[in-house]
Amino acid sequence: MSAHELMTANALVSAQATEILRRRAASLAQAPDDAVSVESTGLLKFRLGQEWYAVPIAMVREIHNEYAITRIPRVPDYILGVVNVRGEIVSVTDLAALIRVPSRVALDIDDELPSAIIVANETCVSALVVDEIGDIIDVAREAIEPPLSTLDKAQAEYMSGSVFVDGLLIGVVNIEKILEPIGESHDGRAS
Amino acid sequence: MVEFDRSAFIAKFQEEATDLLQRLNEGIITLEAEPGNRPLVDQWLRDAHTLKGSSRMVGLIEISDIAHRMEDIMVKVRDGDMPYTPEMTDSFFEALDAVVYLAENAGKSAADDYDVVELTDRLASLAATGVPQAAPAVKTEPAGPVDEPQQPASPAGEPGPELDALPAEDDESAVADEDVTPTADGQSAARGEALHSKTQATVRIRTSQVDRLLNLVSEVVISQIKEEQRVRDLRLAAGLSVEMQQLWSRLRSTMSILPIDEQNLLSADMKMFDDLLSTQRKSLGAISKAYADDTSRTSAVVGDLQEQAMELRMLPVSTVFNTFPRAMRDLARQYNKDVELVIQGGDTELDKKVLEEINDPLVHIMRNAVDHGIEPAADRVAAGKPAKGTINLSARQEGDHIVIEVSDDGAGIDPGRVKAAAIRKGYLTESEAKAMSDREARYLIFEKGFSTAAIITELSGRGVGMDVVREFVVERLKGSLDVESEFGKGTRFRLTIPLTLAIIRALLLRVSGQTFALPTASIEETARVEPSEIIKVEGHEVIRRQRRTIPLVPLRDILGLDTVEPEHASSKIPVATLSFSGHRIGLLVDAFVGEQQIVIKTLGTHLKRVDNVAGVTILGAGEVVPILNVPDLMTNGRQLTGARMRRATQVKEKVAGPSRILICEDSFTTRELERSIFEAAGYDVETATDGAMGLARLREGLNPDAVVTDVQMPNMTGFELTKAIKSDDMLAHIPVIIVTSLEREEEKAEGINAGADAYITKSVFNQDTLLETVERLIR
Repeated sequence: MSAHELMTANALVSAQATEILRRRAASLAQAPDDAVSVESTGLLKFRLGQEWYAVPIAMVREIHNEYAITRIPRVPDYILGVVNVRGEIVSVTDLAALIRVPSRVALDIDDELPSAIIVANETCVSALVVDEIGDIIDVAREAIEPPLSTLDKAQAEYMSGSVFVDGLLIGVVNIEKILEPIGESHDGRAS
Repeated sequence: MVEFDRSAFIAKFQEEATDLLQRLNEGIITLEAEPGNRPLVDQWLRDAHTLKGSSRMVGLIEISDIAHRMEDIMVKVRDGDMPYTPEMTDSFFEALDAVVYLAENAGKSAADDYDVVELTDRLASLAATGVPQAAPAVKTEPAGPVDEPQQPASPAGEPGPELDALPAEDDESAVADEDVTPTADGQSAARGEALHSKTQATVRIRTSQVDRLLNLVSEVVISQIKEEQRVRDLRLAAGLSVEMQQLWSRLRSTMSILPIDEQNLLSADMKMFDDLLSTQRKSLGAISKAYADDTSRTSAVVGDLQEQAMELRMLPVSTVFNTFPRAMRDLARQYNKDVELVIQGGDTELDKKVLEEINDPLVHIMRNAVDHGIEPAADRVAAGKPAKGTINLSARQEGDHIVIEVSDDGAGIDPGRVKAAAIRKGYLTESEAKAMSDREARYLIFEKGFSTAAIITELSGRGVGMDVVREFVVERLKGSLDVESEFGKGTRFRLTIPLTLAIIRALLLRVSGQTFALPTASIEETARVEPSEIIKVEGHEVIRRQRRTIPLVPLRDILGLDTVEPEHASSKIPVATLSFSGHRIGLLVDAFVGEQQIVIKTLGTHLKRVDNVAGVTILGAGEVVPILNVPDLMTNGRQLTGARMRRATQVKEKVAGPSRILICEDSFTTRELERSIFEAAGYDVETATDGAMGLARLREGLNPDAVVTDVQMPNMTGFELTKAIKSDDMLAHIPVIIVTSLEREEEKAEGINAGADAYITKSVFNQDTLLETVERLIR
């Protein structure tokens, strides 16, 4: 019991610490920009299976670790359930399942889950489960290219572009698309 | 006529008046210094005018009269007919004070203990002469005016003593004390101050702020529940410590059998251990007790905090009810009925969130009452009822629920007619209808898309009615809607809703290793049944409870969960019986956990609507538990039991292939407009330029799924066409929709007599109405 409480407290502290570090990193990353007048954007890298992706740092609210997911029946497959983030209920999106990342087995929420990136726009919040969280990179806006044309249509929808950094091709995730509300009309897992 | 409940408007007026009075008072103070300030005079006049108007609206005639007199005086000042004199200042202040008093005591017949007539008379004389008439010295001797009319009428002398008596009478707070007996020289200052304090008696807050506060309060409530759990844990730990010490003392006495040398060797450590154990026991005990005390104190405060926070959002239902007399007049005129609306219990308070949601369902129910309930005056007189129908709207609190009833003294619901309509629309078979009790039949009005209306009009009979209302009430307001009716006597709809949407009682239960919450309001019974009690009927499992047969559905199947071995196998099976829309269904679950109050939260911003799940709650231990949505469970559960299969398959059969529509319309524009609407919706469209041509095409074997016709056409009118179609055995099954600019009831009646299935007037004509009507009829 108390061990569990301690864990949640730790998770909270670590989430806060990550948040502080992130802000610090973001501000450090932006500092040199004053000198060079190239418009750049911060991206948070993360790994899904064998591949690296990124989300715009502006849409990242926090990193959430060690959480308990509550399953919600009859939601789309890529919604693992909901979590309680300090009293706020947030959906948990299995991003790999949504964008159909190959070589990646579906997550079982009863296993210990990797970190989640909580992303938000003006209206919606969701936690994206990823395999590993990477660094924050700063790329010039013009370096972001349109999504690969080889992507299949389902995947292309969820990508807003791609960027080549340190010999890695990184897909930039279209958060707006991912955060589209679910179930305005009747929605359900095909059963 | 309708008793107009003013209380809510009075509160609004008081709020407005407070602002106005402050400005008026300030205006007078400034005017005294700069009497020639024209913009200020204009502003002042506007405020006084507003005060006059709004007080009249809420029926506070005395205030309106005083404001009117003040206006008279100020108009003369503005137009230069009279100079502004300091004496006027006093009169104005006196008048404004009177208004403050009257406004604050609005609706409590305060005018009786305030001689308004005398005041307005004096103001009138001031308006006439520019000189205030002296106030009578004592109110009981109005005949004896004080001498020296030039001296300012002393407001301190006159209304003072009366105001003085106020605080005691009215339970007014200390602010009222400042009102009394201001000294002649310090008057304006004292009055300004008094008014200043009054404006702070209420604070306007954005509802979003209140909501945020409430959200935080519920967080505090949740952590307080955790805290209480921790008190229990700590008490257990303290108990362990006591046991440990007891065990140790037994152990030590056993050690006395050891050789004395060894005992000596150990004695120092043993003594130390002894002390440590006793210190630990004491300190744990003390901490545990102190913690328990603190927590129980905090719990009490948190409880109060929660209650007070909830109160912030409570408003009288009259804020919604007060718009109804007007709405009812409009409805009555629309349907050409004579109806009186009687409102009771307008001061019953309800959460603002609930109030916002309650308007539409109530209007729907009242519309239903006017349209289907109240008969035409002639029929009423023939039935021995007063010509004018009465609709009663009442609200009252019952425990932690609010009950709102809408009852009419109209025709009541005819179970026969409901059954006939149900058979016609394929909800029931003849034999099922026969077996159905009248009570059950009445519940049919809550079926999806159900309507007894003989014809579809834009106002009713569209079948979007009671089912929507009921779902709304259950889904959004977490309440229930019931109907009672006596044929020929009237109908009563009863809406039961929780006081607040934030907290409900729920039964926690387990299915497939997961916990769910089921709102207690919809649960009829919980039971643990023996497997032998479960009967198989036509491949479905049912149980008999209180002479009813209740179909059973595993909750697991509705929710699409995997089968998990129940945690503790018991021979008895837990069943929760839900009752909704007059249907019952027994949910088979793995275990009941218990009933408790839960705080409702949404599923978050991302998951807008999830089948079967109304939201979540956070339990004491931080566990997130989904709250089940009863209407969804009923719909999906009944589908599983096969109760709704027939209707579902019926719909499917008809959907195949594009439907064909014949449009008979002489106007080119209308014809093409309608054509484009139907073609866009995927219909095959055929047209005819008049009724005769339309009929000819039908007889040629066009066989459309529906005919849409105008009324006024050359050669053959729409009515004639309809009659011809309906009297032809080959064509009679084709639904006919009349689209016309004729709007009078007689014409609608002619349409019905001709046999039309729907009647849409062009004034309300829009794409959706037309398509929806046709789709409804084709099905």
